[in-house]
Amino acid sequence: MADALTGAPAPTQEANRDSHRIRGALAATEIDLRLFGMLIALAGILFGFHIMSGGKLVQPANMVTLVVQASGVAIMATGMVLIIVSRNIDLSVGSIVGVVAMSYALLMTDWLPALGIGLDSPLQWLVALAIGLGIGALIGGFQGFLIAYVGIPSFIVTLGGLLSLRGSVWLLSSGAAVSGLQTEFRKIGGGVLGSIGETATWAVAGVACIAIIGLIVYNRRQRRRFGFPVRPMWAEVLLGAIGCAAAIGLSAFANSSYLPAGLATQYAVEHGITEPPGGLKVPLGFPWPILLVIGVTLAMTFLATRRRFGRYVYAYGGNPDAAELAGINTRWTIMKTFILMGVLCAIAAAIGSARLNGATLDVGQSDELYVIAAAVVGGTSFAGGIGTIPGAVLGAFVMQSLAYGLSFNGVNSPTQNVVAGIVLIIAVGLDTYNRRRGSTR
Amino acid sequence: MVPRRFAATLGAAAILLAACTSASPGASEEPGESAAASAAADCTVAVSWNNFQQPRWAAKDKPNIQETVEAGGGTYIDADANLDTVQQLTDVESLIGQGADVLILLAQDTAGVGPALETAANAGVPVIAYDRLIEDPSVLYITFDNVGVGRAEAEAMFEAVPSGNYVLIKGDPGDPNASTFLPSGWDEAGLQDKIDSGEITIVDDQFTDAWSTQTAQDNMEAIIDSANADGVEIDAVLAENDSTALGVVAALQAKGYDPIPVSGQDGDTANLQNVAKGLQYVDVWKDANELGKVAGAAALALCAGTDMASLTIPDGLINDDVAPTAGLTAAEFTTPGPDGEPDSGDESVVTSFILQPQPITAENLDLILDSGWLTKDVLCEGVDAASAPAACQ
Repeated sequence: MADALTGAPAPTQEANRDSHRIRGALAATEIDLRLFGMLIALAGILFGFHIMSGGKLVQPANMVTLVVQASGVAIMATGMVLIIVSRNIDLSVGSIVGVVAMSYALLMTDWLPALGIGLDSPLQWLVALAIGLGIGALIGGFQGFLIAYVGIPSFIVTLGGLLSLRGSVWLLSSGAAVSGLQTEFRKIGGGVLGSIGETATWAVAGVACIAIIGLIVYNRRQRRRFGFPVRPMWAEVLLGAIGCAAAIGLSAFANSSYLPAGLATQYAVEHGITEPPGGLKVPLGFPWPILLVIGVTLAMTFLATRRRFGRYVYAYGGNPDAAELAGINTRWTIMKTFILMGVLCAIAAAIGSARLNGATLDVGQSDELYVIAAAVVGGTSFAGGIGTIPGAVLGAFVMQSLAYGLSFNGVNSPTQNVVAGIVLIIAVGLDTYNRRRGSTR
Repeated sequence: MVPRRFAATLGAAAILLAACTSASPGASEEPGESAAASAAADCTVAVSWNNFQQPRWAAKDKPNIQETVEAGGGTYIDADANLDTVQQLTDVESLIGQGADVLILLAQDTAGVGPALETAANAGVPVIAYDRLIEDPSVLYITFDNVGVGRAEAEAMFEAVPSGNYVLIKGDPGDPNASTFLPSGWDEAGLQDKIDSGEITIVDDQFTDAWSTQTAQDNMEAIIDSANADGVEIDAVLAENDSTALGVVAALQAKGYDPIPVSGQDGDTANLQNVAKGLQYVDVWKDANELGKVAGAAALALCAGTDMASLTIPDGLINDDVAPTAGLTAAEFTTPGPDGEPDSGDESVVTSFILQPQPITAENLDLILDSGWLTKDVLCEGVDAASAPAACQ
C-alpha cells in the first residue's frame, strides 16, 4: 500500500532480501503500513508544491492555514468512516453543516438576544454551541431512525436530507447571509486570535509526550498480563521516541508561526513591551481547530477500537447477519452512528461559521463529497467492515493539501476540482488493486 | 434529420420576424394590442419570476412593480417558476391565458426561454426582459449596467488605492458577468492601463466556483500566505461581488491583516454592515426598488400602445442617481450575443433602459437608510461608536 501511494515500483517476487528485512522490522513495530504510506504521499504532495512555489509553501503559517482549512472535513470524515464501515452512506452532512452554521449565526445575532442573552453576555457562545450540537444530534438521530428502524435505505434518507436541509437554510435566513458572531465563539475558527499561544502549545506537547509513553508502557503491561506477544523493546523505544519527537516538533513548528507585525506592535503596546528592532515575535501556537481535529481523532479512534460500540459497528459492517445473530442490537448501533455524525457535523459547522464570522447560504455546500472522498482516500471500503479513523483524517489532509497547494501556486478553483477528482479515482484505484493482489497471494 | 432541423430554424426565424413586426408601430391592428391601446386602465401586467428564494425579488422588485402598475390603474398578476425552466414556460402560458397584456420576464434560463417568447409573440403580448438579458430583438431590456458595476467598483477602489498591489477575486468562470462584463468594467476604469504603466501590480487573479464564500475565503487565505512568503504586501482586493467579498474579509481577519480596501456589489446586508464597520470599502448597489418602478411604468406605457423605441421613464419616478446615462428615453443596447463575446458577429440590438448602479462607501451609507433598503438598527449592528460612519451616528 505504502509503495503504491508513493509511486515506488510495486515489489515483485524478485524483490531483494533487504526489502524483506525492512518489512519484517516494520511489522515488528506494528505500524500501519497503509497509514505510513499515506503520510509519505502527503509529504510528497507538499514537497512537490513546495518546489513548484519556489520553496515557499512549507512554512509554519502556511501549514497551519492548510490544517485549519481541512479541519471541518477531517472531523466529519471520522464519523463518515463508521457510517461507511456499517454499509451506509450519509449524503446530508454538507446540508447539516449549513443548517447548524446558520443556527449558530441566528442564535447569536437574533434568537438568543430576543431571549435576553445578548452578544455581550459571556456564556452566550456556549449556549449557542450546546444548542447547535443538539440540533446536529437531532437531525442525525432522526435520519438514523428512518434508516435503522423504518428501514429506508440510507442513500435515500440522506439524499432527502441533503435537499430539504439545504432548503431549510434558505428558509431559516430568508435567503440572506448573517454575520457578526461573538468574539469568544470566533476563536473556534482559529486565525490569529484563535490560537492558544506559546506556553499552552508547549504544555500540549508535554502532555502528549507523557501520554504516548504512558500508553506504550500500559499496553506492554496489559499484553504481558494476558499472555499476548509484545513488541521488541527497540520497537517500543523507537515508537515512543518518534511519537514524542512528533509532538514536540509539531509544537515547535506551530510556535514558529508568529503574530502579524501590525498586531504584534499593538500587542507590545498593550503589554508595555518595547519592541525590539526587527519587530516583536509573538508565537501563535496551535489554533483551536487543530486541537479539535486532534481531540476528535483521538476520541473517535478510542470509540472505534476500544469500545463495544466500535466493535459492533465493524462487526455489522463485516457481516450484518452474523452480527444480528450474535445478539448485537444492530438497529440502535446504526442509529448511533448517525447521531454521532450529526454531532461531528455540528462541530465542523462551528469551525466553519467561526472562520467566516457568520453564515452564508452555501456554508458546507458539497462538503458531503469531500468528506466521503476523504474517508475513501483514507482506505475506507464501500464493501463494509474496513476503514480507519486516522486514515480518513489523513485523507482529508491529502485532499486539502492538493486544493491549498494549487491555490497557493495561483491555479484556479475549477482546475483544483479537476485534480481532486482525478486523485480520488487514482487513490481508490490503487487501493483496490493492492487489496486484490493481497488477497490472491 | 437535417432538413427537419432546417425547417425548424426557418420556423423560428419566421416567428421572430413576426415578433419584430408586432412590436413595431405598423402592427397596431393586432387584436391584443389594439384592445390594450383603447383602454390603458384595463391593462393587465403579468410577471413571470424565476425564483422567490432569493429574497430581493419578493421583497423589493415585486412590490415596486405592483404599486407602480396599480397606481396607473392596471392589474398585476404573477407566477413564480421556482428555478425551473419548464415551469416558467407553463407559467407564461397560464399568465397569457389569464389575459396578460404585457409580460415582464425574469428568465430562469436566457436560452431556454425561447418558447415563452413565441407564445407571447403569438398572443401579441410585448415582453420586458427584466434584470436578465434575453437574446431577442423583440424585447425591452430593463437592467442595471453590469459593465458599469465593474467600472464603479474599480473607480472607487482606485480613489482609495491609486497604485499598489492588487488581488483580483472573480466569480464563477461560467457566468459572463464574472468573466466578461465586470472585468471589462474594471478595464474601462483603467485597470489594464494601470497594470501596463506599472502603477498596479496584480498579486493574484482567481475565479471562485459558484461565487462561493467559502471558496473565496480558502483562496484568499492561500493568496495571503503566498504573498507573505514572497514578502509582498497586499494593498487592495478587487472582488467582483458581495459573496466573494465576504470570504475575502473573513480571510483578511483570520490572517490578522490590517483592514485594506475590498470591493463588492449587490448591497447584501452582511456586506453593507461590513462597510459600516470599515471592513469593506465599497459596495456597488443596484437599487431594485427603482428597477421595479421603471418596469411597472414601461409596462403601462406598452399597454397604452406606445412604441417601444419611444418609451420614456416618467419624470420624477426614479432617483436621478440611477437614471440611465442615455437619458430617460429608451435607448438601443447591443447585446454580446449567445457566445457572450462582444464584437463577434452574433450580437443583436434591443431596446433598453440601463440604470446606473451606485457605489456605496462609508460616506454615503445614508442612501441605504433613506431608500428603506435597510433599517438603521440592522445596518449599524455591532458598529463601534467611536469609529462609526455618519449614517450610524
